[in-house]
Amino acid sequence: MNRSLQIRAGLTVVILLLSIYGLLPTFKALSIPAAEREAAQDNPERLAEIAEIDAKAIRRGLDLKGGMYLVLEVDQEGMNASEAEDALLRVKEILYNRIDKFGVSEPEITTFGSSRIVVKLPGLQDPERAKTLLGKTAKLEFRMVRPQDEIPGVLEKVDELFVSDSPAAAADAAAVDDLPAVETATPEETATALADSAAADTAASPFGDLGDLPGGEDSLAAADEAYLKEHPFTGLLVIQQGLLPSTPLFVLDRDAERLQALLDDPRIGRKLRTVEFQMEMDPIDFGQGQMLRPVYLVDTKPILSGDQLTDALSANNPDRPGFWQVNFTLNGRGARTFAKVTGENVGRYLAISLDGRISSAPVIQGKIPSGSGSISGNFTNNEANDLALLLRAGALPTDVYIAEERTVGPSLGSDSIRMGVSAALYGSILVIIFMLLYYRLSGVVTVLALVSNIIILMAILAQFDLVLTLPGIAGIILTVGMAVDANVLINERIREELRKEKTIRASVQSGYANATRTIVDANVTTLIAGVILLWFGTGPIKGFAVTLSIGILTSMFTALVMTRVLMEFSTRNQGKKKMSI
Amino acid sequence: MEFFKNPNINFVGAMKVAFAISVVLVVASAITLIAHGGPRLSIDFTGGSVLQVRVDPVPEVAALRSTLEGMGYEGVQVTEFGSQDEFLITFPNRDVSVETMDAAQILLNDLREGLDGSDIELRREESVGPKIGGELRTAAMNSVVAALALIVLYITIRFVFRYGIAAIFALVHDVTLTLGVFSLMNFEISLQIIAAFLTIIGYSLNDTIVVFDRIRENMKLRRKESYRQVINRSINECLSRTVLTSLTTFFVSATLYVLGGPVIHDFAFALCFGVVVGTYSSMFIASPILVWWYERRIGDKKRMALDM
Repeated sequence: MNRSLQIRAGLTVVILLLSIYGLLPTFKALSIPAAEREAAQDNPERLAEIAEIDAKAIRRGLDLKGGMYLVLEVDQEGMNASEAEDALLRVKEILYNRIDKFGVSEPEITTFGSSRIVVKLPGLQDPERAKTLLGKTAKLEFRMVRPQDEIPGVLEKVDELFVSDSPAAAADAAAVDDLPAVETATPEETATALADSAAADTAASPFGDLGDLPGGEDSLAAADEAYLKEHPFTGLLVIQQGLLPSTPLFVLDRDAERLQALLDDPRIGRKLRTVEFQMEMDPIDFGQGQMLRPVYLVDTKPILSGDQLTDALSANNPDRPGFWQVNFTLNGRGARTFAKVTGENVGRYLAISLDGRISSAPVIQGKIPSGSGSISGNFTNNEANDLALLLRAGALPTDVYIAEERTVGPSLGSDSIRMGVSAALYGSILVIIFMLLYYRLSGVVTVLALVSNIIILMAILAQFDLVLTLPGIAGIILTVGMAVDANVLINERIREELRKEKTIRASVQSGYANATRTIVDANVTTLIAGVILLWFGTGPIKGFAVTLSIGILTSMFTALVMTRVLMEFSTRNQGKKKMSI
Repeated sequence: MEFFKNPNINFVGAMKVAFAISVVLVVASAITLIAHGGPRLSIDFTGGSVLQVRVDPVPEVAALRSTLEGMGYEGVQVTEFGSQDEFLITFPNRDVSVETMDAAQILLNDLREGLDGSDIELRREESVGPKIGGELRTAAMNSVVAALALIVLYITIRFVFRYGIAAIFALVHDVTLTLGVFSLMNFEISLQIIAAFLTIIGYSLNDTIVVFDRIRENMKLRRKESYRQVINRSINECLSRTVLTSLTTFFVSATLYVLGGPVIHDFAFALCFGVVVGTYSSMFIASPILVWWYERRIGDKKRMALDM
């Protein structure tokens, strides 16, 4: 045996042994039955052991494990470059906090480009909840409710703004004047109503004339259309004294989205500047089958915001059994501001606003020095828990949109593994049988190369912490089919050389020599395709590119180095005998 | 065992017939594509959502569809997916808004309401916003073009330019036919399928290069034979290998098609088809184009003077 052969043989053995060693944790991880994993949930020591084994095993992609892949787009409109970058990093940090508190193992959060964040949540059980948690801005603000006598003037301004929108509407408005009086509240009437109620203070029955409200039966009936044209904003509102002490304005729940669209118009902010309207997050049932949302006129500038919270916890709502609320504690500075403002404004209303919707607007009964309070709404236990979590993690500095989402349920993930593995197994068996039939003893060498190829490929995946996806398994299967190619090229060459009546040894030598160049050329082109996929692909597709590319490299190694060692070694002393090929 | 003992099939002689068949197939593919208004792009490229749900008890596809239509969903496609009780609900993202997640969630909630009493398990959801969809479309095109360009470059460096052009003809032929079949069967072109295309490109080329390599070798060895003879001899000498490798690759692709599950079904189908056309094109398209090029442009007489 010559020196070069010895070195190559040694190299092959070392690589194979290293690969098998590298795959041991993967086998261990696979051999832990699901029941044992389940049982280990209560045993932290065992759980840590399992986690350590899993960490060294081949990482399964989200499509095999089940989980969620999200691309979030951070709204950077109107920001300069450094603000935009700052916002991106801040969002990433807050999302990390939220996910951390949500309790997902091994989450991955990375920025992508200048405005995107990629979030990977493996093994997620409740994708719907995760999305709400990640997408919510969670901007908590305390705002003073404006005195009610300011409302008519503001409504008029807003109506002017939207009427001037369309000339057609303005033209129609002139005609409306001649129509018989429609039973709706005009701003003038509103002002009177407000003044009246201020004098009388209480209405006889809070629900008395709900039927006479604009659009009491059908909010947008034909008769109201004309009024709506002239008063596009006020027309959507229901104005009713006495239902709530804090505001006389309401909107029918079915009109809420329409109203919100108007409220979101940036021109309102420019026109009103110091005040704005916000509606309540949940509708209230006032007893006549009408679901109404209160609408408040509040200060634009908050007196306090969520960044001054030190803690938030969910708790039972003592006033409304069955509902939950979130109790919060303010930090020192926040508590001082809160005490000062409440002390100065006894008798006024303070709105607690979350992401632009009011959760409640209680009356300030006296100075609140403790720096703690609560947010109530129609919260279930889970919703209150999530809200508390969001408040603790902090508000996002800007809006975040989900631009891409790929979620795989855990059941589909395990189905995919099962199918992928069985396809790989049967595909390999087919190829192995075929090679043994076609090349007989030399086929054994090919089969050894094939099996080693898979082992080395998997070991590289485990070692370099690469992710195995379903298309990744497909890549391995394809590699099996194509890895054979190198061996086929070599064996066919050797056959050709044998036909030229060369000795076995010489045939093997020149067979390898002639096939090497072809193998390299042919594989480089597939590698080009693989590398391009690696560059362009995301998620599962990347997994395919990874296994395909590595598979090409390992198959070149097994075919050109490993099988050559075996072939040269087994034919080293043979002359013109017949070769089994 | 041996499939072919010293084969001597006249591949180059069948050139005209093969070209004719290929032209017909390419034209047919183009016609199907035009008739269907271009390839049917999946939500990966158009934006929209796909929900894979398992429903118990199993409803009729039509019932599912009418439930959704009754709730005001337009343009929603419902198909059975893999097994009897699973369905794929696809709907485009008509909204310009980037928030697609709500659309899918709302549809699922509505479906649960509409099929009151049924148990609906969400197996998979994919939503792509229109912006990302557009970006993915550009990236997919770029990747295919970049792959083709790099491959021509590589072949030009390793062989000569005309070999690169011949190989590209074969590749475009393969991809067009695969696109045509997908259009004919009304399959969607998704990210996965683009990955399959790139693999087909790589595979088909693999085959082509093995033959080219043999042509180059024989050009040096057999200086007295004509181009036609050398090229035909080369294809024949590689025949065993071509058939063997194609068979094993086809075997594994077919196992993947049969056993790999519905998620990877179309991908495996593309690979199976690609292996067949890839093998055909390297024997009947790429190498004969070389014959045509040599005979037309260079002429047999100058053959000895060539550097190859």
